[in-house]
Amino acid sequence: MEKKYWQSFGELNNSEAYQKSSKNEFKEDLPFDAEKGLLEAKTPRRDFLKYLGFTTAAAAVAASCEVPVKKAIPFANQPEEIVPGVANYYATTYVQDGDTISVLAKVRDGRPIKIEGNELSPITGGGTSARVQASVLDLYDGARLRFPTIDGKESGFDAVDKAVIDTLANAGNIVFLSSTINSPSSLEIIQKFLAKYPGSKHVTYDAVSNTGILLANEASYGKRAIPSYRFDKAKAIVSIGADFLATWISPIEYARQYAKGKKINDANPEMSKHIHFESVASLTGSNADDRYLHRPSETGTIVVALLSALKGEGINGIADAKLKEGIEKAAKTLNEKKGEALVVCGSNDVNIQIVVNAINELLSANGTTIDWSSTNNARKGIDADFAQLVEDMNAGNVGALIVLDANPVYTWGNIDKLKTGLDKVKVKISFGSKADETTQKCQYVIPNHHFLESWGDAEAKTGHYSFIQPTIYPLFKTRHWQDSLLKWSGDNNDYLNYLKIYWSTKLTGANAWDKALQDGVVINTSSISTTTAYNAASLTSAIANIQPPKTGIELQLYQKIAIGAGQGSANPWLQEMPDPITRATWDNYLVVSPAMAKSLLKIDLSNNGQSDSYEVNPSKKVVEIKVNGKSIELPALIIPGTHPETVGIAIGYGRDKKMGKTVVDVHDKPIGVNVYPFAEFINNTVSFDISNVELKLTDKKYPVALTQTHNLYNTSQGKRTEVVKELTLDEYKENTKVIIEERDKELKPFGGIAKFKEEGSIYKPFDKPGIKWGMSIDLNACNGCGACVIACNAENNIPVVGKPEVLRFHDMHWMRIDRYYSGDANNPNVVFQPMLCQHCDNAPCENVCPVAATNHSSEGLNQMTYNRCIGTRYCANNCPYKVRRFNWADYTGSDSFPNNQDELNNAVHYMNEDLTRMVLNPDVTVRSRGVIEKCSFCVQRLQDGKLKAKKEGRPLKTGKDGEWDLKVACQQACPTEAIVFGNVNDSESVISKVRQDNNRLFYSLEFLHVLPNVNYLAKVRNTEAEA
Amino acid sequence: MSLKYESQIREPLVYGNKTYHQVTEDIVRPIEAKPTKLWYVGFYTAVALLLFGIYSVYREVVYGVGEWNLNKTVGWGWDITNFVWWVGIGHAGTLISAILLLFRQGWRTGVNRAAEAMTIFAVMCAGQFPIFHMGRVWMAFFVMPYPNTRGPLWVNFNSPLLWDVFAISTYFTVSLLFWYSGLLPDFATVRDRAKTKLRKLLYGVASFGWTGSTKHWQRHEALSLVLAGLSTPLVLSVHTIVSFDFATSVVPGWHTTIFPPYFVAGAIFSGFAMVQSLMVVVRKVFGLQDYVTIGHIEAMNKVIVLTGSIVGIAYLTELFMGWYSQSKYEGYTFWYSRANLFSPYGWSYWGMMACNVLSPQIFWWRKMRRNLFVTFFMSILVNVGMWFERFVIIVTSVYRDYLPSSWSVYYSPSIWEIGFYLGTFGLFFTCFFLFAKYFPTIAIAEIKHVLKTTGESYKENMGDYEKVSAEEFAHKYAH
Repeated sequence: MEKKYWQSFGELNNSEAYQKSSKNEFKEDLPFDAEKGLLEAKTPRRDFLKYLGFTTAAAAVAASCEVPVKKAIPFANQPEEIVPGVANYYATTYVQDGDTISVLAKVRDGRPIKIEGNELSPITGGGTSARVQASVLDLYDGARLRFPTIDGKESGFDAVDKAVIDTLANAGNIVFLSSTINSPSSLEIIQKFLAKYPGSKHVTYDAVSNTGILLANEASYGKRAIPSYRFDKAKAIVSIGADFLATWISPIEYARQYAKGKKINDANPEMSKHIHFESVASLTGSNADDRYLHRPSETGTIVVALLSALKGEGINGIADAKLKEGIEKAAKTLNEKKGEALVVCGSNDVNIQIVVNAINELLSANGTTIDWSSTNNARKGIDADFAQLVEDMNAGNVGALIVLDANPVYTWGNIDKLKTGLDKVKVKISFGSKADETTQKCQYVIPNHHFLESWGDAEAKTGHYSFIQPTIYPLFKTRHWQDSLLKWSGDNNDYLNYLKIYWSTKLTGANAWDKALQDGVVINTSSISTTTAYNAASLTSAIANIQPPKTGIELQLYQKIAIGAGQGSANPWLQEMPDPITRATWDNYLVVSPAMAKSLLKIDLSNNGQSDSYEVNPSKKVVEIKVNGKSIELPALIIPGTHPETVGIAIGYGRDKKMGKTVVDVHDKPIGVNVYPFAEFINNTVSFDISNVELKLTDKKYPVALTQTHNLYNTSQGKRTEVVKELTLDEYKENTKVIIEERDKELKPFGGIAKFKEEGSIYKPFDKPGIKWGMSIDLNACNGCGACVIACNAENNIPVVGKPEVLRFHDMHWMRIDRYYSGDANNPNVVFQPMLCQHCDNAPCENVCPVAATNHSSEGLNQMTYNRCIGTRYCANNCPYKVRRFNWADYTGSDSFPNNQDELNNAVHYMNEDLTRMVLNPDVTVRSRGVIEKCSFCVQRLQDGKLKAKKEGRPLKTGKDGEWDLKVACQQACPTEAIVFGNVNDSESVISKVRQDNNRLFYSLEFLHVLPNVNYLAKVRNTEAEA
Repeated sequence: MSLKYESQIREPLVYGNKTYHQVTEDIVRPIEAKPTKLWYVGFYTAVALLLFGIYSVYREVVYGVGEWNLNKTVGWGWDITNFVWWVGIGHAGTLISAILLLFRQGWRTGVNRAAEAMTIFAVMCAGQFPIFHMGRVWMAFFVMPYPNTRGPLWVNFNSPLLWDVFAISTYFTVSLLFWYSGLLPDFATVRDRAKTKLRKLLYGVASFGWTGSTKHWQRHEALSLVLAGLSTPLVLSVHTIVSFDFATSVVPGWHTTIFPPYFVAGAIFSGFAMVQSLMVVVRKVFGLQDYVTIGHIEAMNKVIVLTGSIVGIAYLTELFMGWYSQSKYEGYTFWYSRANLFSPYGWSYWGMMACNVLSPQIFWWRKMRRNLFVTFFMSILVNVGMWFERFVIIVTSVYRDYLPSSWSVYYSPSIWEIGFYLGTFGLFFTCFFLFAKYFPTIAIAEIKHVLKTTGESYKENMGDYEKVSAEEFAHKYAH
């Protein structure tokens, strides 16, 4: 028996009293009945709050754990020269057909993610365009061809090479068809190849060629070349339909030069004068000081009239009084500025261009504003060469066709003849990197690298060499087309070797090759303008051959700045970039004048009710367009600045499905309509001006995704001059302080400009020590081209939302270019105003956010804290500039709800492919659904710049002595340097100087006392004051 | 003679020869009887609407606010319009319960219970909108100021939306307490009459052990007064704060100092209209014409014509200021976007004017005030008009504000936006049908309280007192 120890008799005897007392030994009960167990316990009243607190906290924690974990794989061995998180920049060259821009590619962890202009290039000075900015996205295009094919079946390079060499050997005449190539080494390789195969030739075909200029210059100057136009030297510029700021020859270069003449300051209030004649509103025409409208078929008559007016022989053959007045004015202005005057013409008619040459001779432009020391290699194609090729093919004289970049099946007007011709060519080889319309017709396809994967060189202008080096290992089984040609011509070098050898003889000095690659550019030309001998012999016959104007409705096919001749059509950034003139995205359409809208569409814009209903309803009336028995239907947009009897349609749309997800709409139908078949090959050139057009209003409607619906800042209740300010040069010269005085008057009730900051509010202003960021945008320099918009997209991972979403006004752009009209309703003045978050010191968005998700930094930034945002959208409502963008749906795939992108469109799906997502900038958060986003002033770049200065132990430099620790994306992309950004508390920064020196300075909606940190410089127009 | 004597000239508040027992019978009968077919039809319709609303909200939560047709310029549309509309409706209850109690308006007893219930349900509906209009509703708890590990990171006390959080939640809490404390004696009555075990249990729990002792009554009266005192400022503050959502902004058409009184008047206006819509039906369906008398209806119609005219003055003042301020931006909003019938949203402004200002003027005629059909039709019209008012304020201001470049395309709701609104109707009527079936729709205790002074049969006995001169009466009874 076990021995028992006891303390009391009660315990020993286990008495009833003992049992009771031992049970009550611990006075407090457990919160549950120990015998029944915890699960049976009732919730005591007193513990209610504890339970409530616990469950609330648990729910909160559970709700917070929303983000799915994604895997990241670290480098097993860190590659040399790559520091994770630090970007490398490589100088390379953007090449797209003949367009050649020296750029720097920003590479993060082996992925090129952003293109910047190369400041060493004297052509662009670091400027870019929307298309250049967007080109990085094409690298990650899922529709790129991934391997060589024979008859559509996957093959290897060796197999293709063997097959091609075998067939080429007895194919007969070989034609190498390309768009303009200006790579000197490549041209040499082509020559080599042609030499190997006797009877073969190289045909250059540009979809939109400059045949007229090339041949006219051959006639007048004996050179089949395009000279360097010097818009910077021109004090008087007359353009007849040349859209030189957007699409004509070398727009970045011209925009930069043009802005030099347009930039104006108080000390020297002078600027160039630009008179523009055009038929369909263009970007350049919208920037002109004076614009006159004419029929496309009148171009010839106009240049002849201008020539005779310049000679003082009067004007003949111009019926329209306004147009006549315009020509007189142009002649007068040009005559006054002889030697500093330039006339350019966009026509592709040789005779017209010969007359233009005569005009420029008369103005002594040759050697001043027209520089023959270096000629432009952007366009070398002669339309007749290709027309001849089509004839040859039809005649069965072409045995093999090798196609590089040119896409005639899409761009050639007489498509049926071309197709029959192609069918007769036995061997067709394409270097297309995508299955474009022509590549689809070829048996052998050896896809070319993207330029960011390539080696190469380019000669944009004679003596201006630019180098291409790869920034990433080829993503797919693609090959330099030069490699193929080298192989096929029996050269054992690969292209890189060939290139090195080629340049080793041309470059001098140690490490010259490395230096050339590092800089990206080599300049080997003088900067002095030279003349060339002029020969007037062809002038008389040219004038005699100029066609008289036609009657009836005419159609002009034009290029959009983003889409071009079709190069941008598969790029969602470019498709979603609002056209600067029409503000439309994702479509082409019929551009009609307000006068024609009245007669054809039955919409009278001068009637408030009708203009309202036209504006607020995205569905536009559809018009049937009939030319030569071909008929298409397109929605009509009313664009003032268009000739009343002319309509315009953009080329570059209606692409084949195989170009990628972005060229088709949600119903898998092509976006827009291909209007190349309307183009006519007449007088040995392709003409995009078409007469005998029949228009018929249908009863259909079609939605067009516009990002801006209202165009006037003059409202029925007064002119909103607080939004944007413009004035004429005369007004400005008379009193350079006119803008300041106007502002002072606006702010008078609140203390005037001087005391507005303090007296405009009952609160005391804050002291703003340290860095304070600010931006200035010169509306005189800005031409609205949109490079900044795409730069911002690329830098800040801005989602593409697709047409169905843009239609619902859900576009996400942080930066947009507002376009306003003033003056004559049919031919208005246009002002472009880049609009972005103004980073107000007294921001109305900040105080309304219930959770303080948007707040102010000590450096004056209005910041968004995405993970704090709950998406009430109050800030967006309260933003007077309407720059805040809400993530209406899961555009970026960063949401935790599965499958919630199903209902979005193909553009969003495209952007969310793993391949496409490689373009994302890892420094910028990808925003999730339901949060607001907006311009951050590229805060990631600001941090980077500050760190750089800090590491070097010196104050930050934003333009002091020309040195920049940082530039924001839009500023860096801008070809005209219209945007200046920096530290306004640093008196030596460029931004401070701009603000000190310019009386044109104003703040948009200044009277609201939101105290923006973005200022504008008023637009000055070199024209007579409005009546 | 009780404390109160009321002249025979005044209309009785309870018709018929009612005893206390009869009052109880009349009001509790619907609770104890099986619901009618009509009730089932109504209830299931409401539930169906509610389910559709839930699906609409589900889509919005999963796919994003893009399921609605709001856009970069019009950030608020039907969501906040409906929010303000429901909050406005939720004003009559408190006004009737609290302010009229303090003013000793005996006629409130017939309608206060239903009006308060309506208030609570309306505020519940209203609350859905600010919650589900959020882009990330699962983060909605961020609006609560609670100690946290994020810094701690506090809410932004400057934001009118945050004031809304406090205003609405306070209002809801106080209204609920007020309503429930009034229900206690009536629940006890139902409990005492219960013949089934379940009913006895449930109403027993609901009545919190009410015994009807004097102590209970004393505390009940005191609590009523305290809550009335607390809720009186709320009647004014809630809609004032809601109006701050707009008034403190910079948007032309929102940035208006007239908003607080204008919103409060509008809220009472729409609240009374909603009470009318409901009571005209409920009194008929449950046979409560003796308790909700034509006199009640007329009294409320008087409030409607008064508040309708106040908002009318407010509208005219806005228009005047739109011109007098000579602000281009205000001028455009008021004179073009609104007052111009042919502008895109002109119809909504004139719809508002017609429903809110012009049509209630019909109530200057007594005959119209006492006509049930006119009253019902007008009550609907007023609520439509008040919906237009909120829509006008929100959408026509913001769709064309400062920068003409950002003026919006035409905003009209998507099916899911409409579905959400219908869903709140479903919620409201589901609650209201349950209320009408399971709760005493008229405050039994309070009716009994006024019965012997203002009941028809008791008033007949006042003849003797009527004969007495005022001086003598005072000498005799008014100690």
